[in-house]
Amino acid sequence: MDSIDREIYQAAIKGDRDAFEMIIRASSRTLFAIAYGVLQDRAEAEDVVQDAFVKAWKSRWRVREPEKFPAWLATIARHRARDVARSRRTAPLGGELDHALDPSIANQHEQERASDVNGRVHAALAALPEAHRVAVTLRYIDALDYATIERTLGLTNGALRGILGRALQTMRRRLQPALASLD
Amino acid sequence: MPAIHDEIEPWLAAAVHDQLSPEEHVTFRAHLATCESCRALHEEELTMSKMIESTLEEAKPDLAFEQRIVSGFRKRLPYRGGLASLLVGLFRLRATQITAAAAVMLTLVQVGKVVTRENAGEREKMQGASELGIRDERDRLLRGPQDSASLANSSKATEGKASSPQSESLADSARTVAEPRTAAAPLKSEAEPLVAREQTEPAESLPAPAPEFAEERPEDGADRMTTMESSVAASIEDAPPPPAADANRKLIRNAQVELEIAKFDEAVQKITSFATGQRGYVATSSSAKQENGKLRGEVVVKVLPDTLDTFLLQLRGLGEVKNQTLGTQDVTKQYFDTDSRLNNARVMEQRLIDILKTKTGKVSDLLEVEKELGRVRQQIEQMQGELKFMDAQVQFATVTISLAEKDMNLPAAFLLKRTAHLALYSTDVEKTFAEVKTVIEGAKAQLSSSTLDRDSTGEATARLVLLIAPEEADTLIVRIKGMGRVQNYTDQTDRVAQGGTGMAENAKVERDKVELSITISRNEEEPALQTTSLRILASAVSDKVARLKENAAGAGAEIRSSSFSRDPDGQEIANLTLRVPLKNYAPLLSSFDQLGKVKDVSVQRADRRGTINEETAPADISIQVYSQPNIVSDETGLFATIRHTLGQGFSALMWSLRMIGVAIAFLAPWVVAIGLIAWVVASISRARAARRAKREVAE
Repeated sequence: MDSIDREIYQAAIKGDRDAFEMIIRASSRTLFAIAYGVLQDRAEAEDVVQDAFVKAWKSRWRVREPEKFPAWLATIARHRARDVARSRRTAPLGGELDHALDPSIANQHEQERASDVNGRVHAALAALPEAHRVAVTLRYIDALDYATIERTLGLTNGALRGILGRALQTMRRRLQPALASLD
Repeated sequence: MPAIHDEIEPWLAAAVHDQLSPEEHVTFRAHLATCESCRALHEEELTMSKMIESTLEEAKPDLAFEQRIVSGFRKRLPYRGGLASLLVGLFRLRATQITAAAAVMLTLVQVGKVVTRENAGEREKMQGASELGIRDERDRLLRGPQDSASLANSSKATEGKASSPQSESLADSARTVAEPRTAAAPLKSEAEPLVAREQTEPAESLPAPAPEFAEERPEDGADRMTTMESSVAASIEDAPPPPAADANRKLIRNAQVELEIAKFDEAVQKITSFATGQRGYVATSSSAKQENGKLRGEVVVKVLPDTLDTFLLQLRGLGEVKNQTLGTQDVTKQYFDTDSRLNNARVMEQRLIDILKTKTGKVSDLLEVEKELGRVRQQIEQMQGELKFMDAQVQFATVTISLAEKDMNLPAAFLLKRTAHLALYSTDVEKTFAEVKTVIEGAKAQLSSSTLDRDSTGEATARLVLLIAPEEADTLIVRIKGMGRVQNYTDQTDRVAQGGTGMAENAKVERDKVELSITISRNEEEPALQTTSLRILASAVSDKVARLKENAAGAGAEIRSSSFSRDPDGQEIANLTLRVPLKNYAPLLSSFDQLGKVKDVSVQRADRRGTINEETAPADISIQVYSQPNIVSDETGLFATIRHTLGQGFSALMWSLRMIGVAIAFLAPWVVAIGLIAWVVASISRARAARRAKREVAE
């Protein structure tokens, strides 16, 4: 992290709203990628990003070292996203309720989606463990390099490579038919 | 490359994501070249990665995403609005900022003043000043008429010699000066009596011209004698228009001035020239020389009343005015009373003379008339004298000037006073006493007192006090010292300033006679071989002292002095000095341990020449037995203890409260000021941030 970033994070921690808004602009896509990785829903992810920044602003004083600010933001976003995911699972409402309760409809829906390539990719993604999924979305949505992802998720280089390797391997196996058909 | 092959997945992913380092890339490529299955996997991975990429492309947030997030953030955490934003807006103005800063400073100063109670003093001062102003005003009002009157008086005084137009103009000016004053005077109640007097005075003062008429027309005297009113009426008819009331005022002015001057004679000379310059004269002058050569004196100067003020101003130039008083005595009533009585007496005199002239009646009656005439004439003379005296006093103002040269109090000389005390041991006191006396006879010395006492044990003690001429003192003292064994000798010289205090550089120093007091005794004070001093901390000091004395008596010790004292706080201190034979020293000292805690023991041994009997050689012990002061008073009993404990607790509480108050008084203004400043700064910075944000949104 260079000194300018450091200063911006420091200022934000001390309550400089301008600095914090700069950080919002700079890191909202990363947080979105994380939230999307957890939730796989754009609207929900966006809400999560929104919530995460509000929460971060309110509890910014908890961060002692500016270096850890990005990772801290990521953690907040991830937790928030998990909360949303959990509430979606435990307290489904309205149409979603039917949707969730009726496996036939869900299956049908899934199959419909799976019929095209995008749907299949989504399904494959959904089948991944959360940690893997988040790594994948960070890579593909925010196009971050490995070093940044490591920093954001608090991982070592080897761990990230392992995670992505396994994630892509799993997805490859799932997408085997599609890949075959493409060939 | 079995290693890569076995864990190809991370390599594949990293390769697809182009995150291999150059070396890794080479290694990976090399493996792919050799391993076909891995190559196939790599191909698959590339295809899939593109699939994922294209799929997630849809999921990527749109371009307005960041702005949406930021505005959402602002919406959810808005800047404070309402009154706060209004204030913030206000504080954005530079003028408001400066005003606020000034207000903060002012508040700080005011609070500080309240804390230090400085303003109270100031208010008092202001009040004092205003009172002074009022007093000045009053003085001016009071003095006004007098001043004008004195002017008028002076004009009247000069009337005789000076030409009338001048005096009239003077009187006129006096009147014009006086008129506005009388108009203004009723404003002040203090001035009212004066005005009243002024108004009634014409009636009194009008008889003034009467004497002339009486003298001119003695035959009319009888008629005029009848009543005052008639004379007034007559004088109104006959006399020229009466001068203004003020012009007739008889005022005696005098002043006392105390001056400190450099040279007396010069000052007197100047005063004389000033006086003659003001058509005055020096009435008396006296001077006295002080011990230190400085002159002090008094000069009485008579000057014309209207030049008094100028004269006083001139005096100020002479030196430092230490004191000045100005007085005015209004003798108008007295003067005219005397004057009218004089008139009556003159009329009486004339009538008596007439009776004598006609020479009718018996001789005894005539004698009676003569007698009466004599009495009346005496009265007339007396009254004339009084009037003359008053005239003289009114005509001239008296200025009494006390002059003192500077540094009046410097000492004139210093005296070196030497006093010596000599204690002699002699086997034959009387013989030595006589010897000393004979020595004195041959020297420039004088015996101021001598006593020879013999106490009940037959021991003789002689005391002599000598006054010796300073030049012979040393030889004489040496000679007297040789007459016995010197037990003690002290010599002290004092420098005594005479006729003042302080340091005078050129004052001379004199040597006074040397005072020598000699004590001759046989009561030999054998110096102690060992001197010990110690302190014993004990409770119940008096008991302990009694026990100590018992112990001492048991050890054959002589108690030389003993004292006991008790402080108001209950601390008891007893001081004892003992002399004990050395053989009993150690046991006695060890017995002290039973009495209390022995502290600060110091032992000094003075070995000297000659044979010393270790057994009987004396040892001095000085002991201080003391107790701790009571924390609570020495009153005993449960209630007293409770009362005192409560009392002390309460006073401690009050003290701490006071201290807290002081601390708050010191700190509060600063806390308030710093808080205010911090708040202002925060508000300003927030306002700036809001402005910037708005600008950004606008852009």
